[in-house]
Amino acid sequence: MNKRDKARNKFQGISPENPCPSQQTQIPLEFSGTYFDGMSSRAHPVTIVFDGEFLNIHADKTTPVITVSLDECVFKEPLGITRRSISLPDGALCETYDGCAVEALERLKGANKGMNIVHILESNWITVAAGIAGLVLFIWGFTVYAIPYLAEKAAYSMPVELTDSINDKTLDMLDDRFVAPSELSEEKAAAIHALFLNITNEDTGFDYRLELRKGHTLGANAFALPAGTIVITDELVELAQNDREIAGVIVHELAHVRMRHGLRSIFQNAGVFLLVSVLAGDVTSITSTAATFPTFIIESGYSRDFERQADAAAGAYCIREGWTTKPYEDILMHLSENSQGKSGPSWLSSHPDIQERIRLIQELDNKPSQTGDNPGNIDRH
Amino acid sequence: MDSFTCSDCGFSTNDATSYSQEFLCPRCGGTMEESSSPLERTPVNRDLPLNAGSVGRPGPQRIRTAFIGAGSEYFRIWIINLFLTIITLGIYGAWAKVRNRKYLYANTLIAAQPFDYLADPLAILKGNLIIAAGFIIYLLTQAYNPVYTGAVVILFYLVLPFLVYKSLRFLAHNSSFRNIRFHFYGTLSQSYKIYVLIPLLIPFTLGLITPYWAYRRKKYFFENMAFGTTPATFSGRAGFFYKVYAKALLLILAVVFGAGIFAAVLIPAAHKAFIAGQQFSPGIGFITSMVLIYLFMILGGTLIQQYIHARLTNYCWNESRIGQVKFRSSLKARNLFWIQFTNILAMIFSLGLLIPWAKIRKSRYVFDNMMVIATRGFDEFTAETEPEITALGDSATDFFDLEIGL
Repeated sequence: MNKRDKARNKFQGISPENPCPSQQTQIPLEFSGTYFDGMSSRAHPVTIVFDGEFLNIHADKTTPVITVSLDECVFKEPLGITRRSISLPDGALCETYDGCAVEALERLKGANKGMNIVHILESNWITVAAGIAGLVLFIWGFTVYAIPYLAEKAAYSMPVELTDSINDKTLDMLDDRFVAPSELSEEKAAAIHALFLNITNEDTGFDYRLELRKGHTLGANAFALPAGTIVITDELVELAQNDREIAGVIVHELAHVRMRHGLRSIFQNAGVFLLVSVLAGDVTSITSTAATFPTFIIESGYSRDFERQADAAAGAYCIREGWTTKPYEDILMHLSENSQGKSGPSWLSSHPDIQERIRLIQELDNKPSQTGDNPGNIDRH
Repeated sequence: MDSFTCSDCGFSTNDATSYSQEFLCPRCGGTMEESSSPLERTPVNRDLPLNAGSVGRPGPQRIRTAFIGAGSEYFRIWIINLFLTIITLGIYGAWAKVRNRKYLYANTLIAAQPFDYLADPLAILKGNLIIAAGFIIYLLTQAYNPVYTGAVVILFYLVLPFLVYKSLRFLAHNSSFRNIRFHFYGTLSQSYKIYVLIPLLIPFTLGLITPYWAYRRKKYFFENMAFGTTPATFSGRAGFFYKVYAKALLLILAVVFGAGIFAAVLIPAAHKAFIAGQQFSPGIGFITSMVLIYLFMILGGTLIQQYIHARLTNYCWNESRIGQVKFRSSLKARNLFWIQFTNILAMIFSLGLLIPWAKIRKSRYVFDNMMVIATRGFDEFTAETEPEITALGDSATDFFDLEIGL
């Protein structure tokens, strides 16, 4: 214990290491303090004597005693070992460092029961350690289970009109700012549309549409919009060695649509933002830079999960078609090589660790039993 | 009866019976001296309801301010309140906020007397709920249509001056010293002028008006504060702000230049490492250089921020007075920078657990370097009545992390 703490404890007598001597209230109870009348800032050193019913506040022997009944006093809640305040009628206030005396009066009156519990929790290192453990557990449960679960529920309960609207607005935004009309030959475009129709054939869950665009700064890229529109850039089509590779990308994007990854990530990111701002909310400017870091880590974890799920769907599709996962691995490799030395957003940027992705996809080849029809069931851990 | 006063924090007591030997200050551990000290609070033999006025010795007294909060104690309070906030899904947050702030106030002393924070948690809870609703609307519009998001953002900037105004009123009204509340007398129209009109002029003046804007924001705070019925006066001038910002601009140029060189060296190096050796996972070089650049930006950003903060805070306090009370603030930019930078690192590497320690450390430095000069003590201020003020502004400014006033 340092000098500062030692001195504080000696004076207060109410720290956890050094609790008040007696639980019994002695009457008369006498303690010293400072009186403020509420009209002026003047501090009056006083002695307070409690006679069992009234607090008698004495300044010195020549002045009249101020008498206040215990019922009229409002005890402000205890906080650490800071001075205790007693609000008196007409805005007057008594402050004292004699925590034990105030504790005794409080007990008599039955005041501040709730805040006294908080105070006891705060005063004890064991409860504080339990609080840290509880916090860690809660944050972990919240980010791993609650936020993804709630975001999923919210995404699936979004009205169709809303997803349609987001879909169209996003496509407009892409057209306005990033992409240009496709420059692919008509035969090539027709072939890809046929491929797309073939893949989406049996699925009527969404209003699937394929849009081909020139990517420009976005390069070889593909996007899934929430209502079922898939955008593929010319550059990606040119990068693919055959239709099977493009099929893999299409299935990947369709999996994002089917599992509503777009909406879910909007809701998840909002959840993380709320969580981080509640956690760091109390501290303002210092943490604003630092708080972006955990947010970033959690959010990229979520998007990795989504990529993994979509990869699993694409791999499973390739296996069902009897191609093994090779075409899909090939297109990932092409994309990875293609994006080197280029800045700007890439199809891979949400998951830079391409080796790890390919390894996971290869595992699918060895476990054909897991290639079920519902990619949503694939474990994300 | 004898009176004893602490030479460090100004705490005084007339009860020395149990401290015959080794009489240390019970609040800060400093040395207690007999009341002949110039820091003496009030003479002990004083008639209670008599008129005030005749205080100790004539002439200005230099009174040190002190912050005596303890990191370990505040850590316990902070953790428990954070825990309660999280398990109540944020509802208890209003109570937690009041409790945290009360602790910091109660440990800030001028001549041994602490400050108090009097806000009603229910008022803050109401404000929090309104802000949460606003945030949900913002998110929905963001998902639905970015055009509406723009409208919400514009609406927010139109409401902002109102929030700043309300927040300053709420903060002042709920801060008290010696059982006298503070007040904020700034007007709503001033707030709109400062937070809407002047920022709109920034593009047209090529940013040259920015120091003036900072000046007006500080002035709005310092000029309109009052302690009880005694208004504050502020004699600061915009010229000083221009000087500080000009120096800060030079610092910014140096930092940006440095970051540019840093990035130009690091990113190609990371790429080379990626292409050359497959033993590297491709992410590692990239992530390392990002982290290094991030660190550099924190370093440079903190330096400039703390330079401006130290110079302007000192200036504004030194140019302010409340009645006969004057202030002397002597913060050093390099000390503040060091404290802030190590605080940020400590918070990052402790995953936030050292936030309370960091706050205590900074408050200690700020108040260790603050001096109050009072000619006639603190006994003559009088209270004024003011109706209760809602907390909307208070939580809004905290939530959106706005730097206002201090």
